[in-house]
Amino acid sequence: MIRRSLCMALVALLAFVLAACGGGSSSGPTEIAVWHGYQDTEGEVFKSLVEQYNKEHPDVKVTELYSSNDLVLQKVLTAVRGDSAPDVAYMFGSWSPNIAKIPSLVDMADEVKQPDWKWDDFYEAEREAATVGNQVVGVPALVDNLAIVYNKKLFAEAGVAPPSPNWTWADFRAAAAKLTDPAKGQYGFLIPADGSEDTVWHYVPMLWEAGGDILTPDNSKAAFNSEAGVMALTTLQQMAVTDKSLYLDTTNENGPKLMNSGKVAMLITGPWDLSQLSDIDYDVQVMPTYAGSSGGHQTIAGPDNWVVFDNGDERKQAAIDFVKWLSAPEQVKTFSLGTGDLPIRALVGQDQAVLDQLNEGVPGTAAFVENLNNVKKVRPQVEQYPAISEALGQAIVSVMLGKDQPKAALDAAAQAADAKLAEK
Amino acid sequence: MSIDVPTRPTAVEPAGAETTSRWRLPFSPWHLVLIPLTFILLVPLLWMLVTSLETEGEANRFPPVLFPESPRFSNYSEAWASAPFGHFFMNSALVTLVVLASNLIVCSLAGYAFARVRFLGRGALFVTLMATLMVPFQVTMIPVFLIVKWFGDNVWEGLGIDHIGALMLPNLATAFGIFFLRQFFMTVPVELEEAARVDGTSRIGVLFKIILPLSLPALSTLAALTVLTSWNDFLWPLIVITSQDQMTIPLGLSYFQGAHRVKWPLLMAANVMSLLPMLLVFIGAQRYFVQSVASTGLKG
Amino acid sequence: MPALLRRLSRTDTVSGWALVSPAAILIGIFGLLPVLMSLQLSFQQSDLLTDETPWVGFDNYKKLADDPVFLEAIKHTIIYTALFVPGTMLVGLFVAAALNRSVRFISVYRTAAYITMAVSTISQGIIFLWLTDRDYGLVNAALNTVGIPSQGFLASPSQALYVIVAMTIWGWTGFSVIVYLAALQGVPAELHEAAAIDGASAFTRFRTITVPLLGPANLFLIVWLTINALQLFDEVYVTTRGGPLRATTVIVYYLWDRAFVQFDAGYAAAMAYALFVVILVITAVQFRIARRHVHS
Repeated sequence: MIRRSLCMALVALLAFVLAACGGGSSSGPTEIAVWHGYQDTEGEVFKSLVEQYNKEHPDVKVTELYSSNDLVLQKVLTAVRGDSAPDVAYMFGSWSPNIAKIPSLVDMADEVKQPDWKWDDFYEAEREAATVGNQVVGVPALVDNLAIVYNKKLFAEAGVAPPSPNWTWADFRAAAAKLTDPAKGQYGFLIPADGSEDTVWHYVPMLWEAGGDILTPDNSKAAFNSEAGVMALTTLQQMAVTDKSLYLDTTNENGPKLMNSGKVAMLITGPWDLSQLSDIDYDVQVMPTYAGSSGGHQTIAGPDNWVVFDNGDERKQAAIDFVKWLSAPEQVKTFSLGTGDLPIRALVGQDQAVLDQLNEGVPGTAAFVENLNNVKKVRPQVEQYPAISEALGQAIVSVMLGKDQPKAALDAAAQAADAKLAEK
Repeated sequence: MSIDVPTRPTAVEPAGAETTSRWRLPFSPWHLVLIPLTFILLVPLLWMLVTSLETEGEANRFPPVLFPESPRFSNYSEAWASAPFGHFFMNSALVTLVVLASNLIVCSLAGYAFARVRFLGRGALFVTLMATLMVPFQVTMIPVFLIVKWFGDNVWEGLGIDHIGALMLPNLATAFGIFFLRQFFMTVPVELEEAARVDGTSRIGVLFKIILPLSLPALSTLAALTVLTSWNDFLWPLIVITSQDQMTIPLGLSYFQGAHRVKWPLLMAANVMSLLPMLLVFIGAQRYFVQSVASTGLKG
Repeated sequence: MPALLRRLSRTDTVSGWALVSPAAILIGIFGLLPVLMSLQLSFQQSDLLTDETPWVGFDNYKKLADDPVFLEAIKHTIIYTALFVPGTMLVGLFVAAALNRSVRFISVYRTAAYITMAVSTISQGIIFLWLTDRDYGLVNAALNTVGIPSQGFLASPSQALYVIVAMTIWGWTGFSVIVYLAALQGVPAELHEAAAIDGASAFTRFRTITVPLLGPANLFLIVWLTINALQLFDEVYVTTRGGPLRATTVIVYYLWDRAFVQFDAGYAAAMAYALFVVILVITAVQFRIARRHVHS
């Protein structure tokens, strides 16, 4: 028993002592640790950028660590609790409203106001994903969006005209139905259907195109159970339940695989899947619109951020400098051309030479860059978003499984969301 | 009990012991049961092998491709070269060996005490130790992190965060091992022990001269299980290790698992390579699974 | 004898504690202390992000009673455990009995049983997702040939949990087999021989001689498998993520979700400790029942 209270006292003392001594100065280069999820080509390009930076800045030593993005949150939270946080970490944009609360997270608001950052050159969606209230929690690291990726051969075989910018959702639905052949195990369309944010963010652009919104403008109540919301969800219901042309992928992974095997004609996905479609002839098109709606063409972006942690003044400054260099136009161009990822800066994205080269590497990438212009709205940056996403996700899946009607499901989800929003 | 004190000879049933006058197959009929059974159990492993020889295009199919066009054995060398796997192997091996040795010793001592020694507070202590198995790691990982960090900062750096010592420390003894050995030690006939104790052997002596030799199947089983758990541990190393040179194999495998894409052929090739040491361990431990008469030394 | 016993009991306590102290210290520091430290978390409102963790007493626990998802998770966990534990033991015993013979190549078969445990949960999950796929899986293909329509299995809210039971029994059979194999070594061959001479059939011998002597192994498996079943997480994470429509949401999955997706760690800790009490009680009951039956 004595041992236990001794241990607890020691741990408490330790935490106190650690909090007291911050970064500590050291002779020799300032070392900063960067945690990221880049593997493969992205990893190699990133490593070479880091090497370049280290060579050009002998007073700083940047070390990088690979940590799978899905699990990095647990790692970061534990590290922060244990006063062993990294200096820079790659974090999903959807976590921004919550990680904004971490005390050691550096608020970059004043920093990025400086003109040499060219903050406005970042696409608006990225800036919004990095901003929570008055706080700027990080610097853009990645941007993407959703568009239709379709199998040209399946369309030709079925005699259906491929997707065009003039398509409405009615056209999409009709095409999906014609491309579905139960005898061959072929489906016209596929959607991730596990009820997570992956499902939700496929529905959200449809909601926006129909003229709706996730929350009211003041972020106090749910607004997705409007007529627009019901219309968008009904489209999915028609395809999943009535036409049976929509394959519900509960694993969230089989989409590109089925596409690559020629079993699915259309996918709504992002540029990251293109390189997996090695065995088919595909093309990219923007999502259809809703006839008669003011929404027009819209899509959704999922930007991610580099987040800086305060481990003492020296390391903090070194980290900020590194992130600034990393997101400067020249490095953005190098990274994008080397990896095929969309450029995070608008000026780079408008460079035709860059677009051509991207298309050479992975065909269809340029279409995704241009589609960034259709990103008009972003998901609300509120800390209750995970709960809202969960409620909405369950509603969407239950409708697609034929267990609920859109209006009832969305109303129930709105109720749950409102309750959560009222809590804070 | 009126049975003669058994000397624990092998309890393996000899093949064909009960054949009467029925016609005999050229091999034991048990093979007909064991082969399909083994096949069913091995399906995941077979899938891993098949995938490890595919190209990425082939691996990106659903339903999966069962027969790759031309087996890509180069996946193995490519996987090995993608990360310092040799180093990861060394780290994993070191951690596993230390954890194994520690568990065998510490859990034997404690397991014996719980099985045979009536001491004050035994029940309460056993329950308390078992309680540590009943809270999921996701909940306790942050306190364990803090404690291990304390050791690193105050006892020896090699035990702290970002060192493989930190991977060993929380696993040096587990209630699982104690519980397991307790159950098996309890099956050793009490009479043997009592005879030795009357002769003046100490508790420790009884443990080493009587219990342990008769418990080789249990010890080798525990060894095999401990090696397995330690070798495959992922979540704790993920949380604690932040430098590549301290990584273990499971962390190395996560190199192939990105957020949007998993490089299946390389991942499976690396997985297969990582299984080989465990396979060797088990084949080695097999010899001890069957108790032989010669090792008891109690006849006569 | 009585004098001997009296002499043993005094020094017994000393030697007993001496023998358990290394284990007690190690597990005390790295097992018990964290359990107590995170117990504290269950009485706070914490998101693991900020330093403000106000004390809320038993509020988190009270919230549990009103949480319909938690109550569903309890139901799922109980159903899962009730099917998984006996299932794994029976299958394991059967396979172990089959492997407990000196047939040629027996070590190959045993190695196969062991190596199934070394296969990662991820690979297991992928295999089952594929095998049970509604459109492309082998199981449905087989069912179709005998006229049964394709089933949703892991994609069906009513079937998913049972498929997870099957999948985890498959995954844990190796463990069960290994434990039983070790235990079967302790069954003296002479007893079997004597009974065989008396004319008892193999099955009768198995039932009346072998099975009772497996008592300690049975207790071990029941307790350990139950503890694990009640804490099921990995297999659910890798296949269904608690779905479809929460059909496979079990307690530990739900608490992980609360802590690391919804940032409500205090609530998650309360869930863990509510579960802990249940596990403790069930384990104690199992030991109690065992003590009455074991005649060692």
